[in-house]
Amino acid sequence: MGYSFDFRSVSFGPLWEGLIVTLQLTVAANIIGVVLGFPLALLIMSRFAPIRLPAMLFVEFFRCTPAIVQIVWFFYCVPMLFNVFLGSMTMGILALGLNLMAFNAEAYRAAIQAVPREQLDAGIALGLNPLQRTLYIVLPTAVRASIPVLLTNGIGIFQQSALVAIVAVQDLMYQAKTLATETYRPIETFTIVALVYFAVSFPVSQIVGYLERRRQLMMS
Amino acid sequence: MAYDFSVVLRFQDALALGLWMTIKLTLICVVLGCSLGFFIGLARTSRSAFLRAVSSIYVEFFRGTPVLVQLFWIFFCLPLILGVELSNLASGVIALTLYMGAITSETFRASLKSIGPEQLDACVALGLPRRVQVTSVILPQAVLRAVPTLLSNCVSLFKESALVSAVGMADLMFVGQNISNNTARPVEVLTVVALIYFVIAFPLTRAVTLVERRVLAKLAI
Repeated sequence: MGYSFDFRSVSFGPLWEGLIVTLQLTVAANIIGVVLGFPLALLIMSRFAPIRLPAMLFVEFFRCTPAIVQIVWFFYCVPMLFNVFLGSMTMGILALGLNLMAFNAEAYRAAIQAVPREQLDAGIALGLNPLQRTLYIVLPTAVRASIPVLLTNGIGIFQQSALVAIVAVQDLMYQAKTLATETYRPIETFTIVALVYFAVSFPVSQIVGYLERRRQLMMS
Repeated sequence: MAYDFSVVLRFQDALALGLWMTIKLTLICVVLGCSLGFFIGLARTSRSAFLRAVSSIYVEFFRGTPVLVQLFWIFFCLPLILGVELSNLASGVIALTLYMGAITSETFRASLKSIGPEQLDACVALGLPRRVQVTSVILPQAVLRAVPTLLSNCVSLFKESALVSAVGMADLMFVGQNISNNTARPVEVLTVVALIYFVIAFPLTRAVTLVERRVLAKLAI
């Protein structure tokens, strides 16, 4: 069977709008994940079990269940459980943001544990209180060390954001599905959409590779 | 509104069937994907520029696009291009195997890289043919080093397998969503589905940590 390709039938207007929504979701989820991931990492590392255990449960739950289950759960169950009705965009951002927060917390935890003990001792010697030590010693070092992982997780959430199409948020994937059904051109549409996702992720993953190589050079 | 978890019990057989589909799919794709990944990992470190280029494009493409898009592509486009009807299971297996191959090839590549060049020099000095170098020197060490990361790749695959529900394969997620739509009890059903995934994936992630410690201890000698 000869398949004749026809890329002209793919209209870029809806795809462009979808990409904007996807990028909005990604940026908003990343803001939640990067900012709140750090305090969450501190909670996981707390010596006080009633604080540590719920935080660990939260993180493990998000890391050990499929993202699609989390998103569907969020969209169906949160309105029923808490009797709140948020826009689908807000729900999407919250679901993706909480997921990213759990993954980033692990990244921060690894980086915090890698902060040399001497630096904290020096902080104590200088008479800094625990809050100051966290803000001025742990935070800058740990954040810098975890940047490659944060970027990888960020790009991961960009890809996971395609899942919100299933619960009818009108992102890139949703527009692609609609377009493919309307035009009967699935090959052209999904190929273009795959290329769009790739065009955004690939440069970022190259930057991550570059940062990691530079870091290894600095370490050696 | 009162929550009634006994609803879930009535559908336990359906859920068990869905879970079996999820596990079957995961196991098939773990075996196929790891084998594919090993050869792709070798190809990426090969001397031939052509092999390197082809394998890099494959890996970067599959790591750079959402698995959902890959699934849709394989479900809707591959049959059109090949001109043959593919069963649901076949498409799911192809999609997840290609994904697993891409992520495990990175794992293998990293572990191949960690084998020092002096070992290859020793092989050359001993006059071992290329095939024996691969099977008796490189493979055992690379696999040992790769095991912890491979295990966590398997956990990722187990989680990603839930995506096949979006293209209508009757896995755990699909069955769960169906039940929740038909009974109008999403809270109970979806929570139980999430818990089932968690109960399987969580011990596996703990096992990864344990194995990691073992392997590190073994390599440190």
